[in-house]
Amino acid sequence: MVFLKTLKINTPQGIKMLKISNISKRYLKTVALDKVSFEVSEGSIMGIIGPNGAGKSTLLDIISGFQNPDEGGIYYNDQPVSLFKEKKQLISYMPENLTIYPDYTVAAFIDFIQLATGYEDPELIKTLNLAKLKNRKIRHLSKGYHQRLKLFFALSNRKKIIVLDEPFNGFDPVQLIEILELIKEKNRQGRTFILSIHHLYDAEKICHYYTLIDEGRVVTTGSIETLRHKFGVEKASLEQIFIRALQ
Amino acid sequence: MSRLSILLVKEIRDIFFTKTGLLFLMLVSFITGYSFLTAVELYSEQSLSAVNNPLYARGFEPVPGVFVPTYGGLFVLFSLFLPFVIIPLLSLEKQNGTLAVLIQLPYSFKDILIAKISAAFFFLLMTILLTLPCFILWQLYGGHIPFNELFVLISGYLLYGLFVVSVSFFAAALFESTANASIFSILLIVLSWVIDFGKNMDVSTFLTSLSEWTVTRNLKYFEQGILSFTASMYFVLLCSFFFILAYILLRFDLRIKSKLKRLFATVVLFLLALFISFQSSLNTDMTESHRHLFSPAVTKALQEIPDLEIDVYMKKSDSRFRDYQNKFLNKLLLVLNDIKIRMMTGRELNKNYGLFIYRINGKQGKTYSNSEKEIFPIIFKLAGVSVGQDNGQQVFPGYPLVIKKEQLTIIQSVFYLVIPLTLISIFVFKNFKLIRRDNND
Repeated sequence: MVFLKTLKINTPQGIKMLKISNISKRYLKTVALDKVSFEVSEGSIMGIIGPNGAGKSTLLDIISGFQNPDEGGIYYNDQPVSLFKEKKQLISYMPENLTIYPDYTVAAFIDFIQLATGYEDPELIKTLNLAKLKNRKIRHLSKGYHQRLKLFFALSNRKKIIVLDEPFNGFDPVQLIEILELIKEKNRQGRTFILSIHHLYDAEKICHYYTLIDEGRVVTTGSIETLRHKFGVEKASLEQIFIRALQ
Repeated sequence: MSRLSILLVKEIRDIFFTKTGLLFLMLVSFITGYSFLTAVELYSEQSLSAVNNPLYARGFEPVPGVFVPTYGGLFVLFSLFLPFVIIPLLSLEKQNGTLAVLIQLPYSFKDILIAKISAAFFFLLMTILLTLPCFILWQLYGGHIPFNELFVLISGYLLYGLFVVSVSFFAAALFESTANASIFSILLIVLSWVIDFGKNMDVSTFLTSLSEWTVTRNLKYFEQGILSFTASMYFVLLCSFFFILAYILLRFDLRIKSKLKRLFATVVLFLLALFISFQSSLNTDMTESHRHLFSPAVTKALQEIPDLEIDVYMKKSDSRFRDYQNKFLNKLLLVLNDIKIRMMTGRELNKNYGLFIYRINGKQGKTYSNSEKEIFPIIFKLAGVSVGQDNGQQVFPGYPLVIKKEQLTIIQSVFYLVIPLTLISIFVFKNFKLIRRDNND
């Protein structure tokens, strides 16, 4: 089980850099988020997990500034971050429903991002294996490669926090290992990640902390050890904790 | 290369190298060719009887005779098809979520919108460029080119195109789907036609008053060769209004209340600015024949008269009033900017229907005639001004032009073959390069 060994997770005990405090959001009479609060440690990977329709994407939208909360706020190092341009300096966000310019070639998109940001990371292109398809139109890419291109965009900057909504969709198991390694590598370089993942098996391989959301509310938050202890299920998998927590 | 120019290059590529953009440009070529061919044929046929008759020849002017009908085709294309090219520039970014990509790059909402507007403007320039062969061919046939008048005409269509662009961006910012945005923008654009139709059919006095404010009414100034400050300001304000609305709607970082406040403030400021600009009527006749002016002697005499007031006892929708407006009042307004015109209403109107009262220095003169031959003696008598003699003035010769049928085939070749094939070749060449590279991967 060499594979599992390489995915061994050491939970970082960094300072709480991002504080999500009492975030609420309503769409007419539907409550999307209800007083959601949790903290993210610097240099950690936080997994936002929960069933479909729990409010994960809305939460990530609000954290990244793409939606405004009705109540509550986001704090970075105890300072409120309310303006979009402030969040934009800090957070890179990859929405789930992003379809990158279908008529562009991979190279044209990469060039555009690099020229616009002034940030070049040849290693990233190599790791994502995008160079070999550089002249292919994006509409002709497989779902996995389209997802890689989305990751390329999200990681092509020097921002401290990377927010990814369902980043592992569309990858086969081999590709997934590469992508997990990439995120871990970027995390080792000091980036903090907030990931929305609905495949708990994938989440368990990479996240240091979890926030479980159901029907717009935080059910629980913490590292897997904390959650096991809290729900009295020692040695249980994340999936088992998830089911127990929702019960 | 600055970051903004990188964005601009992207937007230019997004509009020029799409199938919709290509089809639109080809359509411009076909329609311009057809309109130009028809206009030239008619002009040529009618010129047959004028070439040896100098008096009749004076009525032959290339702009109203050939170029206004040619640009008429462009008017329809801009109104009904341009939104389909412009709207995807913004709505696809919204639908695909790539607006989230752009806004996370070092670009603000303002940068993104400005780049898109600039790209759309370049596209408009390209469509105008496709009409340039008309002028070249016209000159090759031996036709006369009145540059000033053409400049006014082209400026008018450029402003109208920019208006369509602004409405398209507004619709794209307002709606999530491209289809809804397209239908909405065409509805807004066609609204102007509906109001004009209502005016012509005398549906209501409200529509008649409203027709003074329509886009088509203001475009008429440019078609007639009148450089109008009011009409130019009208287009500038209208375009700015829709661009600002689009900008506010696009900003997802604003809360609903803040958005509504800004939208409301924009509407109020726009109406105020429009009202102020409509207070002045600074117009200049740019036609070579000065067809919108009275004779030089009359113009000179008119400039000497003090404040003139006119009471009109007639409905605006009355055909006699329209005649009065077109043949007398509009010309008068080109000379005198500060005339006070009162459109009488109610019992007074019914009692004296058809009457025109002219007031100068407390004295007044009445007439039921709408002809300048009857009106001028009254006005000049009231003002105590006499009209001098018109002498030494160069008479506009007119430019009739007879073109042989065989010569017209070149128009078909240029607009139906050369331009479309060139456009297709550029498009195919660009895509072929991609396909070849893709196969080599």
